[in-house]
Amino acid sequence: MRKVTESDLPGVGVRFDLQTNSGRAVGVVVHQSGRRDLVVYDDRDIDRAAESVELSEDEGHTLGELLGGSPVLEHLDDAVHRLEDLVISWVEIGAESSLAGLTLAEAALRTRTGAGIVALVSDSGSIPIPGGTDRLDGGDTAVVVGVPSAVKAATRLLTRPNN
Amino acid sequence: MHAGGDLLVLELGAVVLGLAIVARLARRVGMPALPLYLLVGLTLGEGGLVELPASADFIEVGAEIGVILMLLMLGLEFSPHELVVNVRRSTLAGVTDLVLNSAPGLAAGFLLGFDPIVAVLLGGVTYISSSGIVAKLVADLDRIGNHETSVVLSVLVIEDLAMVLYLPIVTGVLFGGSVLSTTVAVSVSLAAVLAILGVAYVLGDRLSDIALSHSSEALLLTLLGVTLVSAGIADRLNLSTAVGAFVVGVALSGDIVSHARGLLLPLRNLFAAVFFVFFGLQVDVRLIPGVAAVAAAIAAASVVTKVATGWIAAGRAGIGTPGRVRAGAALVAHGEFSIVIAELGIAREGDLGALAATYVIILTVIGALLYQFSDAITVAGLKRRSRASR
Repeated sequence: MRKVTESDLPGVGVRFDLQTNSGRAVGVVVHQSGRRDLVVYDDRDIDRAAESVELSEDEGHTLGELLGGSPVLEHLDDAVHRLEDLVISWVEIGAESSLAGLTLAEAALRTRTGAGIVALVSDSGSIPIPGGTDRLDGGDTAVVVGVPSAVKAATRLLTRPNN
Repeated sequence: MHAGGDLLVLELGAVVLGLAIVARLARRVGMPALPLYLLVGLTLGEGGLVELPASADFIEVGAEIGVILMLLMLGLEFSPHELVVNVRRSTLAGVTDLVLNSAPGLAAGFLLGFDPIVAVLLGGVTYISSSGIVAKLVADLDRIGNHETSVVLSVLVIEDLAMVLYLPIVTGVLFGGSVLSTTVAVSVSLAAVLAILGVAYVLGDRLSDIALSHSSEALLLTLLGVTLVSAGIADRLNLSTAVGAFVVGVALSGDIVSHARGLLLPLRNLFAAVFFVFFGLQVDVRLIPGVAAVAAAIAAASVVTKVATGWIAAGRAGIGTPGRVRAGAALVAHGEFSIVIAELGIAREGDLGALAATYVIILTVIGALLYQFSDAITVAGLKRRSRASR
């Protein structure tokens, strides 16, 4: 992964900067409110945001996926960030997944892969810290946390038919 | 209802309507509204055009609430952790800022023969930039992503935190008695501030969870109640109400913050405007011509020292020339906190009010213009230099 530098914006959020091989600089401002700004820096005045596009949290996730960023490394807060190997991924549960329709207890994802589900998001609302009786439904999104290999294994189980 | 009641409402309505008009005007020309609020206060105050016999008391109470709400909202911007991290990282920039920028006010205070404590207040007035105005300018001009912005915000955080230590000290000295009792009072109040911040640092999350409520009405009342009680206790301890409110804001963190901001912002806007009017009311307008030249001179010195502060701080962060100029220009605007500080000494030294009002009006306007046109200024400067070197 390329080196991303991080700067605090007290009272606003965090800014991440990335220097591309072609010599351009781009950045992302993550606001505390969840808003993201995609920033393209000026060629001649490298510190100036020549273009700044405001994105909602959703739009940011979409753009991230378009750019090939799944599993997404999310900067949540210092406590999480310090665990450098931790990956958080938003996984849409496939309707044909062998786990679809099962409760968390039945799916036993943590025992099988080592990755845990910390939230379930569906059209009807989200369940933070779901319990064993909460159900994995096709089309809902599971927020999966773990080391990269565990998250990868869990993602495979949640998205693909029996294997 | 008593006889004065009707007049109170009418007067108050007229004042608020006046503020509405100037706020629209400010928006139209892309300037901060604060200097115009001060002007409204000045025209209504002592020696001004009209006086406000019925609503003066109400405005005074409103002003006090305005200061409390401003500091509460400021505190909400920061979590205790963020403050600690920032102080650790930006100490050097903070010290440069303090030394360079309190100098013009201190020097002027002594040259004018003010009491030492009033000179210290004037030093505070010139030291502190307006985080409110700067944040608004940054957002309006779409410069949040600029590299120098993180430097600017860090400097502002240190300033705001310095205020929290500065206010109880000067309040203690202003209202204290003998040297010994004042020293004791100041040490006690500083220890109290640090202790409360420490508690907030450790327990902030839990307290926020307790305060959180799904009813916005209940949440608003909880926030206001806790803040006013805390400010009141601080006041009883001679700590300055503002600090009591700030600490509550810092202690709150997590989910509650965004709700709280949404609920409090309209109230803050109203009462902060009332505070600026109140400050203007207290200033004897007839004193202004006498201090205008001094105010302009201090303002000019502050432009130099603030630009230098931003230039140095941004340079240390590896930012290029145009960004360094922008960082300097961003810090020039002075505003709400200069007025909060000056307010403390206005009873002791009438000239301080007139001086601070004039100074802030000059610097908000110049600061906004400098920041807006800083790139053009850099280009012009670079051109001149290259022509000179040829």
